[in-house]
Amino acid sequence: MTTIDSQTQGLEHEHHDHHHDEGSYLTPRGGFWATIWDWMTTVDHKKIGVMYLFAILFMFFLGGVAALMVRLELLDPVRQTAEGVVTGQMFNWYGDNVAANNNLYNRFFTLHGAIMTFMVIVPSVPASLGNFLLPIMLGAKDVAFPKLNLFSWYIYFFGSIFAVASIIGGGVDTGWTFYTPYSTTTDADHWRVVIMVLGVFVLGFSSILTGLNFIVTVHKLRAPGMGWFDMPLLVWTLYASAIIQVLATPVIGVTTLLLILERTMGIGVFDPALGGDPVLYQHFFWFYSHPVVYIMILPGMGLISDIISVHARKKIFGYKSMAFASLGITAVSFIVWGHHMFTSEGELAATVFSALTFLVAIPTAIKVFNWTATLWKGSIAVNTPMCYALSFLFLFTIGGLTGMPLGALATDLHLHDSYFVVAHFHYVMMGGTIIAFIGAIHHWWPKMFGKMYSEFWGITGCVLVFIGFNVTFFTQFLMGTRGMPRRYATYVDEYEIWHEISTYGSWILAIGLFIHAGNFFWSLVFGRQAPPNPWGGLSMEWETESPPVLHNFHHDPVATHGPYDFDDVQPPHTDPEEFPLPEPLPGGAKPH
Amino acid sequence: MIAPLFIDGLLRDWFFGDRAYSDTSAYSDDLYMFIFWVCAFVFIGLNAFYVLCLVKFRRKPGVPQQRSSSHSTTLEITWTVLPTILLVVFFFRGFWGYLDKVVVEAQAEQLDLEAYKWGWEMTYPNGAVSLVSDRIDPGQLNEYPIFVVPEDWPVQLRMTSRDVIHSFWIPDLRQKFDVFPNRYTSYQFRMDPLEEEDRARANDAFPSGYRDHTLFCAEYCGDSHSEMAAIIRVASREDYANWVVTGGVELDKLTPVEAGAILYTVKGCAQCHSVDGSDNTGPTWRNAFGYERQFSNAPAGIVDDNYIRESILVPGAKVAEGYPNQMPSYQGKVNDFELNALIAYIRSLSDRAPTSLIDEVQGEPESTEEEPQASLNRPDTDDNT
Repeated sequence: MTTIDSQTQGLEHEHHDHHHDEGSYLTPRGGFWATIWDWMTTVDHKKIGVMYLFAILFMFFLGGVAALMVRLELLDPVRQTAEGVVTGQMFNWYGDNVAANNNLYNRFFTLHGAIMTFMVIVPSVPASLGNFLLPIMLGAKDVAFPKLNLFSWYIYFFGSIFAVASIIGGGVDTGWTFYTPYSTTTDADHWRVVIMVLGVFVLGFSSILTGLNFIVTVHKLRAPGMGWFDMPLLVWTLYASAIIQVLATPVIGVTTLLLILERTMGIGVFDPALGGDPVLYQHFFWFYSHPVVYIMILPGMGLISDIISVHARKKIFGYKSMAFASLGITAVSFIVWGHHMFTSEGELAATVFSALTFLVAIPTAIKVFNWTATLWKGSIAVNTPMCYALSFLFLFTIGGLTGMPLGALATDLHLHDSYFVVAHFHYVMMGGTIIAFIGAIHHWWPKMFGKMYSEFWGITGCVLVFIGFNVTFFTQFLMGTRGMPRRYATYVDEYEIWHEISTYGSWILAIGLFIHAGNFFWSLVFGRQAPPNPWGGLSMEWETESPPVLHNFHHDPVATHGPYDFDDVQPPHTDPEEFPLPEPLPGGAKPH
Repeated sequence: MIAPLFIDGLLRDWFFGDRAYSDTSAYSDDLYMFIFWVCAFVFIGLNAFYVLCLVKFRRKPGVPQQRSSSHSTTLEITWTVLPTILLVVFFFRGFWGYLDKVVVEAQAEQLDLEAYKWGWEMTYPNGAVSLVSDRIDPGQLNEYPIFVVPEDWPVQLRMTSRDVIHSFWIPDLRQKFDVFPNRYTSYQFRMDPLEEEDRARANDAFPSGYRDHTLFCAEYCGDSHSEMAAIIRVASREDYANWVVTGGVELDKLTPVEAGAILYTVKGCAQCHSVDGSDNTGPTWRNAFGYERQFSNAPAGIVDDNYIRESILVPGAKVAEGYPNQMPSYQGKVNDFELNALIAYIRSLSDRAPTSLIDEVQGEPESTEEEPQASLNRPDTDDNT
């Protein structure tokens, strides 16, 4: 992948001189308003990726505050004692009206779920890091359709505005799943639910168009010399999830549209009072929302593959099985939606979906074993990205393994819709995707902004996040097996101690995340200038400067080695003292 | 052999808090523990490997990584096939346990369960409904209905919902199923027999003793979702049959106000309407009758018998200002006797209610100051603990 001048064609020499004096993509071009206008109208994938990144982080903050409010209510729930006293003073916004306070809690958990799913985790890796990295990793100047990319960003922006408008209007209490007939009958005299669902509908187009863009980019814009199996695994997973984005998202579009029509015009599709079928809604909803779980986790898996490989200085173990496992997960993801409905569908459907669900575990297990084997005989750096990668391995494995008793029918009848499920999907979605995302922001932060962050505060934040996360969510497994249903504003006394521990954990988690935020701001202002390749990476983004120049590379790059050939290729811009290579194989033999 | 079994037992207690109370739930607990031990083995093995790698291969300045193979067909096939075999075992054990839970035994006792926002109503084969309630947590105000079921006898619930989707979950049975409007779903179980400590609770209503289990709604259904619980009381077969025949109150033997006070909890009115003047999802019943009320979709009017009747049968016709139009219709859910009893009860809570000549002559006026909880008598079950 190194850029070799002798290989560049005569055509490129013209570019050579032209590109040398161009600044980084962050260099302001013109005054303040001109710069703002430049960002608003940019078709540069890097700027769009950065705008996505900060929008997503802002939404993550909003969703996180809602999560803290949820935990605050559960620390000391509002309820009436036998003496008629109302307890739970911290969340008691509506005086002695317990039902109104419950309703407030319901709005907060819906807010948390809807924001985190549709506005944070689904777009998180593809739209922000994916947008920034995918073209550079392929050696391209931009995505295949740069203007469409900007259009996707504006769709995301306006879709989020719908959702925020709904929140400002008072929020919705449907749960992020919008199950009918509750969602078609609650707040019947208000527009909030319609606006929120409309927001989800609009956001879907952003996801579809980004996916389409990535698929075409991967097919058409790989640098000369880069075959399918020379791509970094992040690109493979972005490609696999882009397929799901394009194929599954239209289904949620149709479903939300039907929901809006049912609410506004009373057509009877889902509400039995109008002759509809509420189970049909669940099928429609999960036909999208199960594959979407893999839109969320697949790119996270790709990030972890790259982080582990670079920081252990080891070729990823079983590259091809990793690539095919990604595609395998994509394929299976479309036929397992029924496992969200073991308690509402018939026996035959439940049996078939249970069997299919276990299929997902196989490619996932392969990936975990491959990451594990990659560490063997490596040179493992202990820094923030690697700490996050190891946290991911720990947490995601718990998330995956706790899926077993949920996939098995007999045990699922107990665990379904309990706190066990809540803990399980937080271990996968937050312990998996978000942990990978935060680790990856640290890994590529020097590349994106040209500044180094404080490694000490990065590791401190990671340790706090890891401890806080486990304290918050491991207790929820125990509550679930003990019989605590999810989405409860109050609970019977038996669960009090576990809820208290869980809430204290959420505070530790929040402190860890705030430390990261502070560290990032500090690095932008005071951080040391980042070298082009601080970690000794071999994929193409480490060949260009930090931050990259406007057109990514000074001249069109050519792939001359794989992204993980750490044993044989000196990484670009690195000192052989700092990143030494192992002894060459005798006789120049090629390693397998 | 003893030590692992001991640890297994400790962990079971820790995970589940209480034992499983039927054969099918004991099976699924066994399966859970089986999956747990397999997963724990894999998880600990993986993490031991990470620690080993971190110790052995931590980066040292100037020392490169060691060369090693980056792929191994044998290894990769092994870790594909072994998990697959385990997954097949998990699936089949889960499937068998599921069949045991969902297939109905012959001769099962058929009970009708109706869910609504936010409560449960059980109808027994003779048409009786449960009219008794108790607290789950002694210190809290909420009362939950008590449903009696026979010990060691197959029971099938035919479940349906009046409004939105609910889910019927008895954690001690490790089993739940969703409850839908406009269709029936089924839930079946065979409760373990009573034990010595259960028999010790013997009282007049349950001479052979009883055992209580909590049931929750597990599908989100709105404001009081978290207060949508009930108590499943396991009694001997004889006690069950006697309780169903005589234990339910015969409403027509009571005065309309007394009957209305019972219906107030049984029909779920209490979930949204207070009787002590405090605010809730719906307007309070204290001092409602005879007072003027503002409506969000109709001109103001006096709360009278016809308005109350209309509000029960067609709740959306006149919606009290400041409250959501959320109440489900009780058309077909209450008969005329029950309707009159509820109206009588609401009247009794108002200081503008007309008094009866009988009361004045006999000198025993219906007390409007009486606390509603006190009027909620619990016939035949004086077993408050």
